[in-house]
Amino acid sequence: MSGQNIAFLIVLTAALGLFSYNIQRLVSYLRLGTSENRLDHPERRTWNLITIGFAQTKILRERGAGLSHASVFWGFLVLTAGTAEILLHGVWPAFSYEAILPRPLWQLFMLSQELFAVVVLVAVSWLLWRRLVAPPKRLQGKEVHGLEAVIILCVIASLMLTIYTTGGLEYASDPSVRATQFGWFRPISTGLGALLTSIPGTHVAHDVSYWLHALLVLGFLNFLPYSKHLHVVSSLINVWFSNTSGPGQIGVMRAMDLDAEVEQFGASDVDHLSWKNLLDGYSCTECGRCTAACPANITGKPLSPRKIVVDTRRRLMEKAPLLAGELDVPGSAALFLDAEGGKAALGNVLLDNYITEDELWACTSCRACVTECPVSIDQLDIINELRRGLVLNEGRFPEEVQPTFESLEKNASPWAFSPADRAQWSDGLNIPTYAEAFAEGRRPDILFWVGCMGSFDDRAKKITVAFARILQAANIDFAILGQEETCHGDPARRLGNEYLYQMLAKGTIETLDRYEVKTIVTFCPHCFHQMGNEFPQLGGNYEVVHHSTYIERLMDANLIPLNTEHGQRLTMTYHDSCYLGRYNAVYSAPRETLKRALPVLTFVEPARTESRGLCCGAGGGRMFVDEKVGKRINVERTEELVATGADVIAVACPFCMTMMTDGVAKLEKDVSVLDISEVVAGQLLGSARTA
Amino acid sequence: MKIAVCIKRVADMGARFQIGADGTSVSDAGIKYDMSDFDEWAVEAALQLNEKHGGGEVTVISLGPDAAQETIRKALAMGADKGVHLKADRIPFDGFAIAEALAAELKDGAYDLILFGRIAVDSAAGVTGAMVAELLGLPCVTAVSKLDVNGAMGTAERQVEGGVETLSFPLPALCTIDQGLVTQARYPSLKGIMAAKKKPLESKPAQLGAISVSVRKMELPPERSAGRIVGEGAAAVPELIRLLQTEAKVL
Repeated sequence: MSGQNIAFLIVLTAALGLFSYNIQRLVSYLRLGTSENRLDHPERRTWNLITIGFAQTKILRERGAGLSHASVFWGFLVLTAGTAEILLHGVWPAFSYEAILPRPLWQLFMLSQELFAVVVLVAVSWLLWRRLVAPPKRLQGKEVHGLEAVIILCVIASLMLTIYTTGGLEYASDPSVRATQFGWFRPISTGLGALLTSIPGTHVAHDVSYWLHALLVLGFLNFLPYSKHLHVVSSLINVWFSNTSGPGQIGVMRAMDLDAEVEQFGASDVDHLSWKNLLDGYSCTECGRCTAACPANITGKPLSPRKIVVDTRRRLMEKAPLLAGELDVPGSAALFLDAEGGKAALGNVLLDNYITEDELWACTSCRACVTECPVSIDQLDIINELRRGLVLNEGRFPEEVQPTFESLEKNASPWAFSPADRAQWSDGLNIPTYAEAFAEGRRPDILFWVGCMGSFDDRAKKITVAFARILQAANIDFAILGQEETCHGDPARRLGNEYLYQMLAKGTIETLDRYEVKTIVTFCPHCFHQMGNEFPQLGGNYEVVHHSTYIERLMDANLIPLNTEHGQRLTMTYHDSCYLGRYNAVYSAPRETLKRALPVLTFVEPARTESRGLCCGAGGGRMFVDEKVGKRINVERTEELVATGADVIAVACPFCMTMMTDGVAKLEKDVSVLDISEVVAGQLLGSARTA
Repeated sequence: MKIAVCIKRVADMGARFQIGADGTSVSDAGIKYDMSDFDEWAVEAALQLNEKHGGGEVTVISLGPDAAQETIRKALAMGADKGVHLKADRIPFDGFAIAEALAAELKDGAYDLILFGRIAVDSAAGVTGAMVAELLGLPCVTAVSKLDVNGAMGTAERQVEGGVETLSFPLPALCTIDQGLVTQARYPSLKGIMAAKKKPLESKPAQLGAISVSVRKMELPPERSAGRIVGEGAAAVPELIRLLQTEAKVL
């Protein structure tokens, strides 16, 4: 072993030692979070890792940047094999893949290294140009570590260049290896080497280039734990542990045991979040795809989902070393604190000191951020836990929400309508209630769950009637709960009031079970999601179908007698509801329903549609919170829908209906907003056309 | 400061009322109960006073059937420290009988301040607070819209026709709280609800005075008759004016 090998061994050991120390430190910080089992459904998690992680499906949702990133990532995977050889070679000069691989395979390996380095170089150059010359809006913002990104990109570029210089200088300095180790399979090194043969000192230059490359690799490795580029280490792991694309129903809020003897409900600081929320913090590389898709952020509200995650990491990096007494950890925030500062920093909390109440209440829970995140971070989970912390521990929420909570308690509806008026819409329509059906000894096939909007809101009541007419026209054996229907509590849950939610949800489940309900159809996506996906947490198991899917099924079975005469050609667009689309992946049923009800329809899509659809602004309890800051979300969305040139905006949610109707009125446009059931009901045989 | 707040459990005013079978009470069917709004503001005022001056204790007292304990628990969940339930089969209409029971409970409590809501939103008599003050021989300020305490003196503001009057009085004293003193009573957090379960709540028989006023009969107001459409457009105006003059007699 030469002196150089020994020196290399020392450097390598030191570098790997520091890296493993830092990784252990970061893993130990995760233990600050609450425990949570994420080892279930390993096959589903591994599938996520393959598709979202290795195949980069989510990052490729954005073409340009996505392809560049995927190139660097795939290049990284291929080149890591070469890096391993280079590092081993430094300690043990006799080691090479050439010695252990069949020659054709080895040649192919060498070719892959050279070619992927080009791919990475091209991608990195483009990414650098974009960072420095034309940064998109999402890469700006005060929580973005822009300089870090530039350093990292420059290091990656240097790594690629030193692969070629090391190879080229080896060719130039050592004629004995030219014939065997160079050729068509190392085109760039060979070409570069041929140019350098006449230059003196190539032997030393080769060693310098080799050391430079190795030191860059080791330096890069140790820079990771101190930077947002920690995602290189954590994001594949994060994708495996994430639930945002399954396993389990997506978009379901965490179950919560309210009888547990705990000091803290929900979260106010990082130690109330789960270890997975904290791993999310490690995995965020501040790309800003979440914030760019956030309806609140787009319209000038204080919320940035990226900031929620970055703040979670910043607070963890402040608190965890202090708790561990690691005041001298190099690079940790605690390093800059004296004992007094340390005490003050321990007194901080994630809520208020990092994330403000206004940010949390601006969220519409639309799931656009979660859907966009290329590494499956769950921003919404953190927001929901912090909202619970605010409401359940401190009773803090926007003052206009208090009447909503109080009405839910007293009237079992978010609005102060008398429960006695709940079924007034059905007067004279000959619609039985479950109580009536049971009195006659009948068990209806279907419960038509009307929902609070459908029961009390004048505009939504028309949707209720339209859907009831479709059910009657199709001769469905259905009934309503009438005055016995109560809010299931979803608005309270989304607003952080889990206590009120569970009270209402348990009451609803009790009613449903008393009437032996098995199948529920509803036109409200919030009711649909809550009762179908979240009730199982409280022991309520029903088949819940959204009316778009149900109508499509009835059409498939030819049960709806539709008018076949064609009539007027309409241009129609459809606004995706978040709780139907992103939460439940129901995209085609409402569109198919519309097209089949109106065969001559010209159907147009807005710019942001399906999984990218922009929220109407009413989700996450925002229906009950005043929108005081920035542009109104419903106006932003309505402008986009109107820009399609449509005569009719179709919706499949009573909350979206209110928001779009208000938006159209505000823009003073002559565009009608119709629920899909109203479109279908207007085509029923023997009915006056409404669409 | 030691503050007592007397609260009443009342039917939610948003409900559609029906007269009970006895003809002298409101039917329970479909009715939700809650603390009377003015009493909620009184609890909030007491909590704010102690938060402002630091320390102290808030005791809530409610007279009524066992269900009144739910209302006391709500006040405890808001932040009151202890509760006293004065058990009675039903809440009589006679404010003086109630005042005697409350005064018997309050007289040995050494409270610096006793708060009531200005009125109970169901009976709307507005007399009980003042009667208790009289029975205990305490200074009394009714319909207080602003309240503070400085040492052994209290100051209160009252909204009067066209203005505000500021009063001062020595403690101990009794005030009844009007709308406007607090913007909104606090919403009990889950933490508060859990803590309330462990707070002391003492239940004892109410020492009601002799009941001299009782309800003989309750009636719902007559239902409003449906509106009438006289006609449409300008042609209907003369007929409308004639009806307003002769039938409605408003012109």
